[in-house]
Amino acid sequence: MTKEEVRGATEEEQQAQSKKALKKQQKEAEKAAKKAEKQAKLAAEQQSTEEDDFAKDRYGVLAMVQSQQKLDRTLVRVQDLTPEKADQLIWLRARVHTSRAKGKQCFLVLRQQQFNVQALVAVGDRASKQMVKFAANITKESIVDVEALVRKVEQKIESCSQQDVELHIERIFVISQAEPRLPLQLEDAVRADGEGEEEGRATVNQDTRLDNRVIDLRTTTSQAIFRLQSGVCQLFRDTLTKKGFVEIQTPKIISAASEGGANVFTVSYFKTSAYLAQSPQLYKQMCICADFDKVFCVGPVFRAEDSNTHRHLTEFVGLDIEMAFNYHYHEVIDSITDTMVQIFKGLRDNFQTEIQTVNKQFPSEPFKFLEPTLRLEFTEAVAMLREAGVEMGDEDDLSTPNEKLLGRLVKEKYDTDFYVLDKYPLAVRPFYTMPDPSNPKYSNSYDMFMRGEEILSGAQRIHDAQLLTERALHHQIDLEKIKAYIDSFRYGAPPHGGGGIGLERVCMLYLGLHNVRQTSMFPRDPKRLTP
Amino acid sequence: MPMYQVKPIYRREMEIDLPTCMYKLPNIHSQQGNSCTSEHALQNGEVDPAVKALEARQDEIMKKLYELKAAVEGLAKTVTTPDADLDLTVSSSLSPQSSSSTTFKGTTDLDTLLGKDLGALRDIVINANPAQPPLTLLVLHSLLCQRYRVLSTVHVHSSVASVPPQLLSCLGPRHADSYARHMFQLGFTLIWKDVPKLQMKFSVQNMCPIEGEANVARFLFKLLAPYPSDPALATLVDSWVDTAFFQLAECSAKERAAVLRALNSTLGRSPWLAGPEFSLADIASYCCVLQSGSASSAPANVQRWLKACENLGHFSPAKVLLQ
Repeated sequence: MTKEEVRGATEEEQQAQSKKALKKQQKEAEKAAKKAEKQAKLAAEQQSTEEDDFAKDRYGVLAMVQSQQKLDRTLVRVQDLTPEKADQLIWLRARVHTSRAKGKQCFLVLRQQQFNVQALVAVGDRASKQMVKFAANITKESIVDVEALVRKVEQKIESCSQQDVELHIERIFVISQAEPRLPLQLEDAVRADGEGEEEGRATVNQDTRLDNRVIDLRTTTSQAIFRLQSGVCQLFRDTLTKKGFVEIQTPKIISAASEGGANVFTVSYFKTSAYLAQSPQLYKQMCICADFDKVFCVGPVFRAEDSNTHRHLTEFVGLDIEMAFNYHYHEVIDSITDTMVQIFKGLRDNFQTEIQTVNKQFPSEPFKFLEPTLRLEFTEAVAMLREAGVEMGDEDDLSTPNEKLLGRLVKEKYDTDFYVLDKYPLAVRPFYTMPDPSNPKYSNSYDMFMRGEEILSGAQRIHDAQLLTERALHHQIDLEKIKAYIDSFRYGAPPHGGGGIGLERVCMLYLGLHNVRQTSMFPRDPKRLTP
Repeated sequence: MPMYQVKPIYRREMEIDLPTCMYKLPNIHSQQGNSCTSEHALQNGEVDPAVKALEARQDEIMKKLYELKAAVEGLAKTVTTPDADLDLTVSSSLSPQSSSSTTFKGTTDLDTLLGKDLGALRDIVINANPAQPPLTLLVLHSLLCQRYRVLSTVHVHSSVASVPPQLLSCLGPRHADSYARHMFQLGFTLIWKDVPKLQMKFSVQNMCPIEGEANVARFLFKLLAPYPSDPALATLVDSWVDTAFFQLAECSAKERAAVLRALNSTLGRSPWLAGPEFSLADIASYCCVLQSGSASSAPANVQRWLKACENLGHFSPAKVLLQ
């Protein structure tokens, strides 16, 4: 019984409490009712003042896409918007590039990568005044879903890539909103060199671009550059694979500096230290000794050079080739130059729109080349430079200004931006370079140039341990440090040669750009580690 | 003094009142005395050894020239008469020793013609449009190859999409030593390129590009043989070269027929276009007649001359391309 009593007592208490609560609830309900009334009034007022928004469900900010539903909606690509699609109702997802409201109309430029199209929201039977206002207020760079009617235009729209059609928007929903303040404006970032200064318009400097790389990469120019770069890689792989080369992967953390050791990054490696690979050369050569015959590799290369020039990076992508040859190292030169020519041809034939896009911002002459590639000898280069009034010794290396001058002279005579300079003096090449058989002053080594700048340096390597030791001693290199390298040639090695190309430099020079940072997606130089 | 003396007409130290408004010159007459002594020696009957040597050399040259003339005439007879149908293989095997008229042996020297040797290959670069292959230059190239160590290379410029294979091999097979450019005397680099006019570049610093096939042909021919020293003959050769390139190759059928008539009448008078010697005029005209496709419809003298040209065996590179 006591239990019941207790229960009864608690019930009473509860009742007492609930009475209070009820009162409270009543009050709150009244408040809410009042609020609702007010809101209803407000809404009614709005509606009465701004007339009924019949297009309410045709625009808005969509809830964050968390994969709530899987729509079977097909989205059309901007680049596919051609006059054939005229009068079709399509769905499209794109970024708002610019928007411009004008009375009862709002013009939007919708962008997808390097393609853009003009779109129009106009007050009519599909769109209300509010919808136009909403469209005009969408921040630049926001991503929107749009349902629109494709219409042919009578006058070409010069400012867009899709010049023959425009979109008449029927529905517009924001998928992802951009912050209203952008760190840089896209139109400033694609302004042609020098143009901005004349008209007093803003230009974006290199560092601002690199600090906000994500936005800078959205520009048509950047899009084109990196599409072309991907094309270079693709063509490099395809051409070499067709020639019977094998792609290899080499380690990037190595125990000993491969060349000298002055410009190598040291990293801590458990209880000792290791280095970042300056080039995959040692491993390429070991693969040759291991009978892979012809190999190439695409991978990062690290150089700890504290030089802040337009063409040096501390990390870049190396395209490396190494091959065994039968009798003459020109077989290697022929393979490499043919690969380069195939790349240039592929770019010329398949990437013309990208090249044109980059040219709009950074005008340059089209890249010219010869097939088969022109090969000059070092002595000829020296003769050409001397004829032009340069004083230099027979065995001096080419200085950078002389390289450029030689590039101009060769261009003038042969009209080619790509050539090979063969037979460098032995004195200016690394110790593993094979000396010339007839003249000990020269060597079986070569450099390749694009627009007067060196892109590849290669040679026939010494494949004989005995001669390699001699040459190393001549260069006063500590034999202990390169023991592993020399040892790899002790068990029979085929004659071989090769070279390495910097991907960023090739892209930069092909497009005639002036800074290698433009062709590196997230460049690393002595002053930049982010983003 | 073996001879009588004559009183001087004027006094040696004559006082002349010279005007002072102009600069002064030394008296010419006062210097005459020095040369008198050597004249005396000659008048004594002693012949200067230098003159003797000169005379001997002249005699020798004349003798050689007569021999050459005889050889040439003999050969010209066999070549210009269509009946003497020399087998091509025979003529080419003979030419290095006997036929002095067809392998030009001038006193040309590359150093004097192309400038000082800088210790590197002297490379002649020719930009030609694949639509108009320069037949004359190909013929001259093969003649140059007989004369010098020529490194011949063919390239395709990126302005041209593709080139038929016979144009790529038009300079003949690759030289066995082509890997060592320094071993050659002369470079002949042919680049197939989208150019409106054929172009030749040699030295970028000291020379402007030479335009037009005719002009380049003249340049190359000078490397083979000196131009005729007789200005009239040189002009004749020049005018035939121009006629060939401007009227045979580029003009209408009517004008071509007129040129063929002119050729016919000239060839009626002499075996070759510019007189008794085979010259650039013949090379250029032959190639242009062949290129214009009027070889079969040519009049009799021209037909005979065409055949004579063919017998020389220099024109195979051009004929290969036209097939």
